[in-house]
Amino acid sequence: MPHLNILNRQRGLWLAGVLAMLPPLGAAAEEPADLAALQAALAADASATTVPASTSGGESPLMPSISLIFDGAAAWFSDRDNLQQGGHDPTRTGFNLQQLELHLESNVDPYLHFAANIVWGPDGVELEEGFAESTSLPGNLQVKAGKFLNPFGRLNPTHPHAWHFVDAPFALTKMLGADGSRGLGTEFAWLAPLPWFLEVRVAVSHPDPDTGRSFVGTAAKPVHTFGDLVWTGNVRQFFALNDDWSLYWGLSTQQGTGPASASDTTQIYASDLYLRWRPVENVDRSALSVQMEGLWRRRDWIGRQMDDWAGYVQAVGEINPRWEVGGRTELGSGVTDDPLDPAWTGKRHRHTVQLTYYPSHFARLRLQGSLDMPSWRPEPIYACMLALETVIGAHGAHSY
Amino acid sequence: MKKLMWILMFLAFPAHAAPLHVVATLPSLAAIAQDIGGPLVQVEALTSPRQDPHYADAKPNLIVTLNRADVLILNGLELEVGWLPPLILQSRNGKIQKGALGYLDAAQFVHLLGVPKGAIDRAMGDVHPGGNPHFLSDPRAGARIAVGVGGLLARVDPSHATQYQQNAANLAQQLDALAKAETARFAQLPANRRNLVVYHDSLTYLVDWLGLRQTATLEPRPGIAPNPQHVAEVLQAMKTAAIPVIAQEEFYPQNTAKTLTQLAHAKLVVLPGGARFPAESYLAHIKSLADGLYDGLKP
Repeated sequence: MPHLNILNRQRGLWLAGVLAMLPPLGAAAEEPADLAALQAALAADASATTVPASTSGGESPLMPSISLIFDGAAAWFSDRDNLQQGGHDPTRTGFNLQQLELHLESNVDPYLHFAANIVWGPDGVELEEGFAESTSLPGNLQVKAGKFLNPFGRLNPTHPHAWHFVDAPFALTKMLGADGSRGLGTEFAWLAPLPWFLEVRVAVSHPDPDTGRSFVGTAAKPVHTFGDLVWTGNVRQFFALNDDWSLYWGLSTQQGTGPASASDTTQIYASDLYLRWRPVENVDRSALSVQMEGLWRRRDWIGRQMDDWAGYVQAVGEINPRWEVGGRTELGSGVTDDPLDPAWTGKRHRHTVQLTYYPSHFARLRLQGSLDMPSWRPEPIYACMLALETVIGAHGAHSY
Repeated sequence: MKKLMWILMFLAFPAHAAPLHVVATLPSLAAIAQDIGGPLVQVEALTSPRQDPHYADAKPNLIVTLNRADVLILNGLELEVGWLPPLILQSRNGKIQKGALGYLDAAQFVHLLGVPKGAIDRAMGDVHPGGNPHFLSDPRAGARIAVGVGGLLARVDPSHATQYQQNAANLAQQLDALAKAETARFAQLPANRRNLVVYHDSLTYLVDWLGLRQTATLEPRPGIAPNPQHVAEVLQAMKTAAIPVIAQEEFYPQNTAKTLTQLAHAKLVVLPGGARFPAESYLAHIKSLADGLYDGLKP
């Protein structure tokens, strides 16, 4: 009875854990016979959970996995007063440091995994992420605590290394923040017991202006109560249509107190879709993916209600391990007299194309051109960027 | 006889007991587990034999598969490092987390080749620090892994320990016998027909098993795509030494190898990337590997 055996072992571990939190045996009021039985059970569990070595060589003992990722770009803008908002975006003509990211991760113990991203950027050094995550809670739950990117949409929880364009879509930098939506907090994720992948995530986090600009948390309006924290909800489903085609769909929301006053609220709703075609048998590892995200935001702002929306659609063709090409189009609305973006009064279109060359799996050169057409500016803004990324250290895994 | 054994095992297996859910990263590992577990296990492979296991997509449906696994068997030596670790973490399955009873890294059972000596860095290419991870093309490694998998299944499901261990021992014996027979067959080839060029350093164990000599790789360094200068050097070397064969798995690009074999009057041997699980056993896969290579090398 394999399952029963494993179940017994898990029960034994729970029992051992519960007993560890109790006063020492003998101090409590158990009967001697019970004590003997419990001690025997603990001893049996200790021997049953001793497992033989199960990993191969190649890893330094007890060293976390460490990698260092550099992103920098040479850029040209037709207008010095460009509209780049992202914390990792090239923002000026000339050379731009996008980030130098130190990534560390390791298991803490059999129950927790820890990961950290420490980022050197134009404004100094910052702990971008640093969080512990459970590995095996019952009920298909997973809990994360620390500082992390909120589970909102498809691109927000990722880092520039996983992006297919040099800069972030303006939908995200305008509504979530220059560095996306992240903060100190906790997240609960539940994997539904279904034949396909359906995951529900709920996070509560502490906003600040760079990582939650649509919410309270500025120096003038700091978080005062638990009611000021930002709540993020996300439901994701994945459908493997066949071996080659797959579809990933998500719905997200963020709710919290607005930046102006405690009685104001901000709500953001979004949906994202990722369709990928990668023929498993293609020796060139060719793939084509289409990704889109749309966001809608409602803000109460001192007696006024403001609604706006923004989104993007991108297509990326991975021709072979060396070459990739992509295009992205973005569209967003504006609000007159928006206190966060006072100049952004109307629609903004931006079209971007990129060509990427990978000398190896650990480096890339990306040439990108864009045409930005904000309706409130008389002239479009042209931009051209050549970005370099290098990765040293551990080979990180790629999320889907 | 083998069929009768399975029938007896099936009758002895209680109808209400669910089979052990075994997940293997590679189809050859899945085939080994299936050969050993028979009807006592339900085996799934996370990748296809036609897929380069370095570069699988970490599809979220694999999280669901891993969530329900009693046992995870992986190749190890960082072969799956680009996609497997986040899937294991997100599976929320304590049975298959690293260090748990149901987590088995197959590389621990293998006499490793290609273990780097001294300091390494990526100027040397995508070198695996623990050693060459492509050992599943060698039945001697497969035999040792079979015994390890049998031991694991016996620990996870002690009520059928004897069956698992016996089946593992039988499979190991068959693999060892095949290994010896093929070594002897390849030894009959003339010395100049025992040299070959490969695409990637992924046939190192196969070459070692069959007493062959790998004279070059089309990749200038592991994981770095062939470049004209290096390919020209390989062509010259092939012509000079009259290398008869370029061998590579089916998941590597073939254009360069096709051109080179035409220019050097050699043969291109495209080998299966793994067992055609579940249709093919590991033993049959190894036999097809040896036959394919032999057909290419024989005069």
